[in-house]
Amino acid sequence: MSNYIPTIGVEVHVELKTKTKIFSNARNGYGQMANSLTNVIDLGYPGTLPTLNEEVINLAIRAATICNCKIQKVMHFDRKNYFYPDIPKNYQITQNDTPIGYDGYVEITKENGETKKVFIEEMHIEEDTCKSAHRKDKTLLDFNRAGVPLIEIVTKPCMSSGEEVKLYLEKLRELLSFGDISDCKIEEGSMRADVNVSIRKEEKDPLGVKAEIKNIGSISNAKLGVEKEIERQTKIYDRGETFKPQTRRFDDKVNDTILMRVKETGNDYRYFPEPDIPYVVITEEMIEEAKKGIPMLPDERRKKYTEKGILEANANKLVQNRSLSDFFNTLLEEEIDFKVASNILLGDISAYLNREEKEITETNLTKERFIELVKVYQEGTITSKNLKEMLDTILESKDSIQDIMKEIGIENISDDSELRNIIKEILKKNPESVSDYQNGHDRAIKFLMGQVMKETKGKANPRLANDILLEELKG
Amino acid sequence: MKYLNRPLQEVHELLKKKEIKPIDLVEEAFENIEANKELNAFITLNKEEAIQRAKELEDQEVDNLLFGIPIALKDNIITEGLRTTCGSHILDNFVPIYNATIVDKLLEKKMIIIGKTNMDQFGMGSSSRTSYYGAPKNPWDLNKIAGGSSGGSAAAISSREVMLAIGSDTGGSIRQPSSYTGIVGMKPTYGRVSRYGLVAFASSLDQLGPMTKNVYENAVLLNAIVGKDEKDLTSAKREEEDFTRLIGEDIKGMKIAIPNFLMGDIVSEEVKDKVKETIKCLEENGATVDYIDIKYIENAMTLYQIIAMGEASSNLARFDGIRYGFQADNIKNIEDVYLETRGQGFGEEVKRRIMVGSYLLSGENAKVYYNKALSIRDDMRKEFKKAFETYDLIIGPTTVTTAYDLTDPMDDPRKSFMDDVLVIPVNMAGLPGMNIPVGFDQNHMPIGMQIIGDSFEEAKMYKLASFIEKELNLDLMPGGEK
Repeated sequence: MSNYIPTIGVEVHVELKTKTKIFSNARNGYGQMANSLTNVIDLGYPGTLPTLNEEVINLAIRAATICNCKIQKVMHFDRKNYFYPDIPKNYQITQNDTPIGYDGYVEITKENGETKKVFIEEMHIEEDTCKSAHRKDKTLLDFNRAGVPLIEIVTKPCMSSGEEVKLYLEKLRELLSFGDISDCKIEEGSMRADVNVSIRKEEKDPLGVKAEIKNIGSISNAKLGVEKEIERQTKIYDRGETFKPQTRRFDDKVNDTILMRVKETGNDYRYFPEPDIPYVVITEEMIEEAKKGIPMLPDERRKKYTEKGILEANANKLVQNRSLSDFFNTLLEEEIDFKVASNILLGDISAYLNREEKEITETNLTKERFIELVKVYQEGTITSKNLKEMLDTILESKDSIQDIMKEIGIENISDDSELRNIIKEILKKNPESVSDYQNGHDRAIKFLMGQVMKETKGKANPRLANDILLEELKG
Repeated sequence: MKYLNRPLQEVHELLKKKEIKPIDLVEEAFENIEANKELNAFITLNKEEAIQRAKELEDQEVDNLLFGIPIALKDNIITEGLRTTCGSHILDNFVPIYNATIVDKLLEKKMIIIGKTNMDQFGMGSSSRTSYYGAPKNPWDLNKIAGGSSGGSAAAISSREVMLAIGSDTGGSIRQPSSYTGIVGMKPTYGRVSRYGLVAFASSLDQLGPMTKNVYENAVLLNAIVGKDEKDLTSAKREEEDFTRLIGEDIKGMKIAIPNFLMGDIVSEEVKDKVKETIKCLEENGATVDYIDIKYIENAMTLYQIIAMGEASSNLARFDGIRYGFQADNIKNIEDVYLETRGQGFGEEVKRRIMVGSYLLSGENAKVYYNKALSIRDDMRKEFKKAFETYDLIIGPTTVTTAYDLTDPMDDPRKSFMDDVLVIPVNMAGLPGMNIPVGFDQNHMPIGMQIIGDSFEEAKMYKLASFIEKELNLDLMPGGEK
């Protein structure tokens, strides 16, 4: 097989995480009874008119900002006219002329550490269609999805491998889900990617014939689909043949792309400005407002974590679990050992969460209790064995860490006066060690601490004991 | 005639004094409709509901002028539980589960819906003859058209079958039939009245408005139906106002313009003469009337055809029989659903306009035609604005002739548009326009004059209209007062 230069562009649809639909007040939800989340507007009944959900504009501005896009100052909606049972009005309200975002980019980092900008041509708002299910000679329609807000993000034809497509989709998913813009669940259809692939012999050649791959069920399939398609096109050209522009779909049973239809002529969608929705002016205030709503994004999180002394691998792991990372963010202003904190979260706590299939927000672990846990662990009051022993109770009950420690027999004498009396007694009993210390033998401290622990059966808070001991010695 | 021919205020007093009950008005309405059956003004009657509602209202306080008053709605206004056909076979069986905003507003005023009036299929036509249910007739001469597309509402008011009616106006469909049948019809400023529940013909032009036997009732009905509606983003937020407030005021000092285009050769001498007589009367009473030119007004018809048909081709795409309405038998595949259902369900004129509209939007045409039309429309709007810097109101004839024969050929679509050539510029500019009867032709068919106001200046139009109404004091009851 010869070598060709692949050119790849990606179109991604993501469903926005709004409470209601884009043009009606029907609820936006997934996995509900068919046609239970719909009303006369979604069904395109005569005389009904679209309203415009402001939350959609806000999230779209947020998405455009995250993807470094320029934002349209005045935008409108357009009608895309075509007949199909999944589009109740037989036109889709979309943006053809004035996409809300344009000229942006998303940066990906390749395995060799090299970064690359994937350029975003435009990003526009539109309504989702209804879901069709084909049963023998019948087609069933579920309008719950009709009118769910979408943004479509179109890249320039600027990628050149399946790997880059995969990295781009992963990055986009990370950005949009951390931006609280979309769930980005490919399996539920809240993120859908179509990939356009063509190949050519040399850079100076015009772009080759394009094949569009639809119906891609996962990011790894996107990569595989691109690779298979490059291979298929290469073989055709190598045979000295060519092919027509076409739409293919990825079939995960055969792990290959399959021809859906050949594109004979360009579709004529008879676009024109939607007369039912006035032009929308996007003000600086709206942009500022949307920006304010953007939670901390993954790159910033990773940076913050490593600045706190956390290993890069651990920082990455934390970011992969959104709720764990959000929990960790609440600790960033505290004075704790972040290394220890991250180890506990990613170790025993993650193991528990995975086993119980829970998010950290579904446990009883509060910020305050976790800080205490980190402290007693770091001070050596509890061992890693103790931690394992205590963990289920910590996450499931609301008891204080001290109570739980007591329960499993670890008592911590943190009462200053009690400990001080014990230490005073020990100093009285060991005058040699006191004078050793005063003569500069630091070793004596260790012996005295040992005596404290012995006396308290190890229940003394080590740091506190140490502090009091030094104070008393200096007398 | 017992009550429906009397002024609204009089009937209101009778209701208030409990001398009559709403049921008396409802019964009279249905008697009149029965007696005038030949008019074919209604597609669907709401008899049982109306009688029940009238009885329910009996014990309630008569709290506003419109309380208990029978009203007719054009059949492109969505009514919950009451069949809404748009004059088309494709919605023959369509009983909506929701109300248009205007319907909710009228019901709030405790009005009684008598029925749904006949119309050109989806509003497409100028004589109501494209109705699947046969054309309504003109009460002044049963051989003549009632005009269109709100022909049914016009006939129902003109014959006093009901007291008040609502029509819709995309390119003259309230004013032109009002002119042909000798009634008062107002197309308010675009955005005045919510379009939610008005089955769209051309979204950027459609507007609902009152059709009544006199000016005062028109203004009262307009009071009831205006207002910003959250369900219609194109509806306008305005300060509340009473549209009757200037009625009866002196017109002295009013500055009125008449565009030369509206008095051109296309208009019949008889019509022009009546308008000139009216102008003379206005001048005698202290108003000034100047002939002016308004740029682009002569292009309005072309712009209208492009915009209205383009939008219609998209608006009517939803009628595919899948979710509601007529579905053709023996459907084998999805192609059939569209071809057969729409092929059999739509009338010829509707199909013609959908085809032309689709062509106008296809490929590069959208830019060449539709977008260009929108931009010239803006220019025309500015020209009107300029005129309103100098003048209070613009007037002219409403139609080029009086109502013609029902049997006149329908094969020239351009002829149909000519019926609306004088009223269309108003829709293109989004302005309010109304018809006021100013006399009769030699066959005693009504002649109407159009009053055009600046945006949201309906009250000023009513002022002039009421003055003309009072001065001319015409007998506008077909066949004379009974």
